[in-house]
Amino acid sequence: MMFDSFLQQVNLFFHAFTAQLYLTNILIIAFATLMGIIIGAIPGLTATMALALLINLSYGMQFDLAISFLLGVYVGAIMGGCYSAIMINIPGTPAAAATALDGFPLAKRGEGGLAIGAGVIASFVGMLISIACLIFITPFIYKIALKFGQWEYFLLAVFGVMICGNLSTGKDPVKGWVVGFLGFFTAMIGLDKVYAYPRFTLGLLQLKGGISLIPALIGVFGISEILIVLEEEIPYKILGKITKIIPSWKTIYSLIPTAIRSGIIGVGIGAVPGAGEDVAAWVAYDVGKRSSKQGEKFGTGCLEGVAAAETANNACIGGAMIPLLTLAIPGSPPAAMFLAAIWLHGVQPGPMLPIEHPGFLYEVAISLLIATFFMLILGLIIAKPIASILKIRREILMPIVLPLTVIGAYAGGVRIFDIKVTFFFGILGYILRKLDYPMAPLVLGIILGPLADISFRQALMQSRGSLIPLLGRPVGIVLLVAIAWIAYSGFRRTIEYTRKHTQKDTGMIQEG
Amino acid sequence: MGKMDKMAAADLIMGLFLIVFGGIAIRTSLNMKVYKTFLDAPGFFPFILGIIFIFLGSVMTFSSFRRKGFEQIKQSIKNFQIIYLFSNIKFKRVMILIALMVIYIFIFIDRLNFIIATALYLFFTLYYLKSANIIKIIFISIITSYLISAFFTSFFRIPLP
Repeated sequence: MMFDSFLQQVNLFFHAFTAQLYLTNILIIAFATLMGIIIGAIPGLTATMALALLINLSYGMQFDLAISFLLGVYVGAIMGGCYSAIMINIPGTPAAAATALDGFPLAKRGEGGLAIGAGVIASFVGMLISIACLIFITPFIYKIALKFGQWEYFLLAVFGVMICGNLSTGKDPVKGWVVGFLGFFTAMIGLDKVYAYPRFTLGLLQLKGGISLIPALIGVFGISEILIVLEEEIPYKILGKITKIIPSWKTIYSLIPTAIRSGIIGVGIGAVPGAGEDVAAWVAYDVGKRSSKQGEKFGTGCLEGVAAAETANNACIGGAMIPLLTLAIPGSPPAAMFLAAIWLHGVQPGPMLPIEHPGFLYEVAISLLIATFFMLILGLIIAKPIASILKIRREILMPIVLPLTVIGAYAGGVRIFDIKVTFFFGILGYILRKLDYPMAPLVLGIILGPLADISFRQALMQSRGSLIPLLGRPVGIVLLVAIAWIAYSGFRRTIEYTRKHTQKDTGMIQEG
Repeated sequence: MGKMDKMAAADLIMGLFLIVFGGIAIRTSLNMKVYKTFLDAPGFFPFILGIIFIFLGSVMTFSSFRRKGFEQIKQSIKNFQIIYLFSNIKFKRVMILIALMVIYIFIFIDRLNFIIATALYLFFTLYYLKSANIIKIIFISIITSYLISAFFTSFFRIPLP
């Protein structure tokens, strides 16, 4: 029985492999990866922004091509961030922030090319590890997810928002939870899914359809980013010339243990709802620093530091796809963009996906694999020309991004109202970011809100308002304990934060 | 006064806002129609969210109060810091950029052809940001808006507003 199931999976894999290997698809992936690398390399244009801008192009494509295209952009953009992090000390994407710590000192020493080469190769290794994990872990999660009932789905939605809020705010997790639950509330706007009763529509006809996900995402990540970048003028210059790019075999060999360790960390963190590539890179960098024999050299221009961060942020992609495909919960903000896009194309990820679209998992894996090879080849080839792209002034580039976000918001539903929604969420995102609120929980809240609402109400109806049936559900209990632990540790951090600042203020007053 | 200290005042305002917002959410959800029982009613989940907002708002208010958020607000009012905010270069820059976006999204797009609306928006924004000399700005505005329009409509057959 188990062997039959294994053979069936192997058969599906090879079917997907042959189905994906045709010229148009390969060219689309190559183009998408290149676009992703270029956009990811430009400071101010993040991987999420890359997907937000290029999602337009996928509207008119066939479904499988659209999926390949978006995955190519995703893979390219995450890696592309390392160019600007290394050459100008400004990460192209937040995921590359840890890369700058060692990449920029290397560039100052004239070894920027080697740092880029190590970063690209590390990203390649990270992707291979994450694709392998995606292929082997996902079928098991599907089997577990099939046993989920209403309670588990409700608790999973709450768990997603809570853990995301906890991980995405450094000091005060309450801020992460606030935006996460504001995301839940945003999802309540529109007609109720059970009785079609209008909720919080303010009498506006357009709001009865609810807040469309893509315009909200484009606003939160696109328009707020335009304002954040244009708010101040940060001049930057490229230090040193890019000469040798590919490191020696000896160097590559010495980086393998770091890459494998960081790859596993990246996949693990990627699988946590909403945690994202930047968290993965920082954690892998920190672990690398502690466990490396050259730990003291981290931060002074060490290739191992670049490799740790770059492997982890790309490995996060495959990890983020695991909860996305099995439970419809994105592991990172760019994955949320990808989820919104596949919803738009009529595919509903979740435990039923292997039944409704049996080969989908492997199609995603093969597309990621093709994109990974293009990322390696193109990433090394365009390392030198990319320097001229980095010279484009952001004061010219960012205003041009706005019309592209407008098209992205409009083209999905062909409604002018969606452009206004994008603008509203852009301003909201800008204000919240200025006040140190993370954006990932907000997005996750909007995505998981309907699931939490419906499953909680149905679970309570089935149990006639009693919580006792939950005690007989092992997965539910695990989730409940996890939520309680996250809440406990989060509130403790908030209390410590408050105490620390109260003491600091008191000290300042006494000193004054 | 450091960045963290300034956040205490903002957190206090946000905390109070959340308490009021949660109260409004609870009141609105209780006024929603109940079909079978309240557990199944459209207002049930927003009601729970309202309670969560009040709780989190209270935590934020308490925390920021301890971090001298209230004193900071009083200090700001006393020292007319709000007036300084309006003369802050970054604040002015963002307000003007938002105003240009409002004109583009709420006025131009509704009334003008997309190419003309985009060209006008780009011209005024690039001019305000002093991105290049005037000739270059005119050139970039017209060419970019035309290329964006042509690229999406002809090449990818995507509708434009």
